[in-house]
Amino acid sequence: MASTAAAGPRAAGAGLARDPALAVTVVLLWAGLALFVLYPLAMLFARLVVDQGHLSLGGLGKILTDRHQVQAFANSLLLGALVGVIGTVVGFAFAFVAARGRLPRGVVAAIDASVLLPLISPPFTTAIAMIFSFGPRGLITYGMFGIKGFTVYGLWSTLLSEALTYFPIAYLTLRPILAAIDSNIEGMARSLGASRWRVFRTVTLPLAVPGIANAFLLLFAASLADFATPLILAGNGFPVLPTQAYLQITGMFDLRGGAALSFALLVPALVVFVLQRYWVSRRQYVTVTGKGAGVTPFDSMTPPVRFLLLGACAAVTLLIVYFYALLLYASLVVALGANHSFTLAHYRTIFTDGAKAIRDTLIIAAFAMPLGGLYGILVGYLVARKRFPGRGAMELVSMVDYALPGTIVGIAYLIAFNDPPLVLTGTALIIVACYVFRYGPTGIRATIALLSQVDPSLEEASRGLGAGSATTFRRVTLPLIAPAFFAGLGVVFIRSMTAISATIFLISISWTLITVKILENITELSLGSAAAFSVFVVVVVFVVIGVISRAMGRFRAPGAAPIASLLGG
Amino acid sequence: MTTPRSWLARALACSTFAVAALGAALPAHAADALNVYSIWPENWARPMFEEFEKATGIKVNFVRFSSGEALARVIAEKNNPRVDVLFGGPVETFAAGIAEGVFEPYKSPSFAKLPARMKQADGQWTAIADDPLVFMTNDKFVKEHGLKAPASWEDLLNPAYKDSLQMADARTSGTAVTRIFSILEVNGRDETKAFAYMKKLRPNVQLYTKSGGGGTLPVGLGQAGGGIFFIVDALDTKAKGYDVTISFPKEGIGTAAEGIALLKGAKNPELGKKLIDWATSPAMQNQFAKYKINFVPAHPDVALEPSLAAILKGVKLFPIDADYAGANRKRIVDRWIAEILP
Repeated sequence: MASTAAAGPRAAGAGLARDPALAVTVVLLWAGLALFVLYPLAMLFARLVVDQGHLSLGGLGKILTDRHQVQAFANSLLLGALVGVIGTVVGFAFAFVAARGRLPRGVVAAIDASVLLPLISPPFTTAIAMIFSFGPRGLITYGMFGIKGFTVYGLWSTLLSEALTYFPIAYLTLRPILAAIDSNIEGMARSLGASRWRVFRTVTLPLAVPGIANAFLLLFAASLADFATPLILAGNGFPVLPTQAYLQITGMFDLRGGAALSFALLVPALVVFVLQRYWVSRRQYVTVTGKGAGVTPFDSMTPPVRFLLLGACAAVTLLIVYFYALLLYASLVVALGANHSFTLAHYRTIFTDGAKAIRDTLIIAAFAMPLGGLYGILVGYLVARKRFPGRGAMELVSMVDYALPGTIVGIAYLIAFNDPPLVLTGTALIIVACYVFRYGPTGIRATIALLSQVDPSLEEASRGLGAGSATTFRRVTLPLIAPAFFAGLGVVFIRSMTAISATIFLISISWTLITVKILENITELSLGSAAAFSVFVVVVVFVVIGVISRAMGRFRAPGAAPIASLLGG
Repeated sequence: MTTPRSWLARALACSTFAVAALGAALPAHAADALNVYSIWPENWARPMFEEFEKATGIKVNFVRFSSGEALARVIAEKNNPRVDVLFGGPVETFAAGIAEGVFEPYKSPSFAKLPARMKQADGQWTAIADDPLVFMTNDKFVKEHGLKAPASWEDLLNPAYKDSLQMADARTSGTAVTRIFSILEVNGRDETKAFAYMKKLRPNVQLYTKSGGGGTLPVGLGQAGGGIFFIVDALDTKAKGYDVTISFPKEGIGTAAEGIALLKGAKNPELGKKLIDWATSPAMQNQFAKYKINFVPAHPDVALEPSLAAILKGVKLFPIDADYAGANRKRIVDRWIAEILP
């Protein structure tokens, strides 16, 4: 799909007419975006402002100026910012250690595997493990340290749980970026007399800035949209907006109020997005020179720093492993905390009563994964490399469903697709569409971030050397964005297996999901079944991601991304 | 993959094919099956629906939602209902549904036999069970603090319970609304007194949970000291092996009927009516004991299971008046949110 030499990637306004394939793609993508992003939101907005046939904003003003809701709004921003900063720092530390720590392959793979655990299990499983561990009778606070009267609910526990759950996104975003930075450049800076710290500060860090901004954006958005973790951990003293919106809709049956609260979340999400775009686009980050990288491995860390970083990463990893060991244990005993005799009954339950949920989830994930991966690189590539009318708008619109809280996306879909002209509720298509447009943007961001590191002249040079645009695309561009394709594929699959906030409204008699079963089991005291379902999800996702990373290995480009996989394989 | 454009074309063809395949794979509902949203948890709803299929040959497809979610969906799907029947859940949920005009009145053969508070006069909903509230406390917590299982509403105000009670959030839970109306009944519907009590109780509340049973596991584990729950949830906690004690306040506590209703515009109204006939009759309610479902039957001809009867012996229960609760629900809940929750 690379342009012909005449209409080079930089040539502004390269006519759609001259590139029919491009035109068709753009039209199809816009049709998809219009149908599954804009139309549902428009329907929701209509429901929001039209009250019994005429325009009315009175109810909205009341709810948006309510003291408690304003507090919840401030709390959401605080939480999102803290999760963004902490998650990005932790993710960067892990990525730096993995890419520059010169660790044995096995150790990196082990870190990768455990770090991915939170990402591949439903968010509230971490929250539940926190409740078991840190309450007045928590296994850690009371069991290990004998602290009584310890309160688990509030900002810090929500923050810890969300940061642990989402920092792998930062890790996945930053690791390819750090790995793609040609360490020869760092080596040169060092040999010109710069200290390691100075090299890090003036060479490595600035080159990683687009990645860091991306990671922060993704984490901030993820936290803003997460309702499950605060629902379980935030308690009553620290209300946040997504949870308030969810409660407003499901508890007060106040669709308009909930919609209004969710729309309030759009503002910060868009502000961060615009800032990030402006900031990133001002800088040039080209390190892929075409020379083989890593010929002289650069030693980025002094021994104490290395020790400190490794220690911190090990501590985080250990905490995660502990949480999931607890989950596994809960799935294998009769009732955690009451009867610790061994049983496989919970697994029997999920494969009999839960068989339909398992089958439905796997079918939906199998469809959503390739579509979401493809959608991600198509939009990412078009936005980063092509000029066509509405390009900026496409990037913006494609991010909307990611930035919006799932609750509101789910309700919007429900409103839009329940009535003619387009009746989709009760089908699998509506869930698949939700996953593709809600989680595909990870692939878009990854593609844009990768391409922003690669100067278009690399592709031009290839053509200039007589490679022809087809060969150029296949041999140069495709391998460069392949990691983004697989990252998108992986994330959409993971989310198809673990997401709940939007799709809880889209499940039906015909199609149900494992995550909904898990939440239901938790609230019904069937902790064992909830744990068994979660373990099942973790195992399936690990297997599939393992297969994906093997496939990814085949796309390794000489100069780019030795990351080449989600699991370090 | 000879040119980039053909690569693109292939990608587009593949995704078109995938979408088409997906469209073709959409299953149609079986023609003679009944579709139900159940508010009862699956482990109670499933055996009931299996018994129904055994008795009538009608298969029930169902999904379980908490009462708030179920009602939100029913309202959202009003113009094109996906299910025929809303099954289980406290009647105050059904009262909210009446206000939205989502139900089709229907009177089953048992309707006439039921006491007035077990049905809506027009047949918009009918009760299938009755569910009293209880106090439930963690044995170890009670012992450690030198307490006894609470036997009055005043006992819960003891500072020993500071930050230790869990109970449901009135924004989402029918359990919570029933609890608040219990407190109103205990105080002779004097709102000033009732809210003064709730304000005094607030420092002892560690967490208001989303679902009515959300606090049972923390109480079972000792992460919380106690709480106010429906008896079905409390007895389930005990049955799992957690050391908890169930007690009742001497002043009395509320009990709420659980309902069933036919949806307006249901695709299979005749099958739906058959389920309502069956569920409101002894045919279903005689099965509660067999499956250890600790609801009190709604139908007067069904005997209360002996162990449940023993627990409830001598307990003073206030039936929550659906009309009074329905008329004041929104105002009371709003006041609770404004004055008690923060």
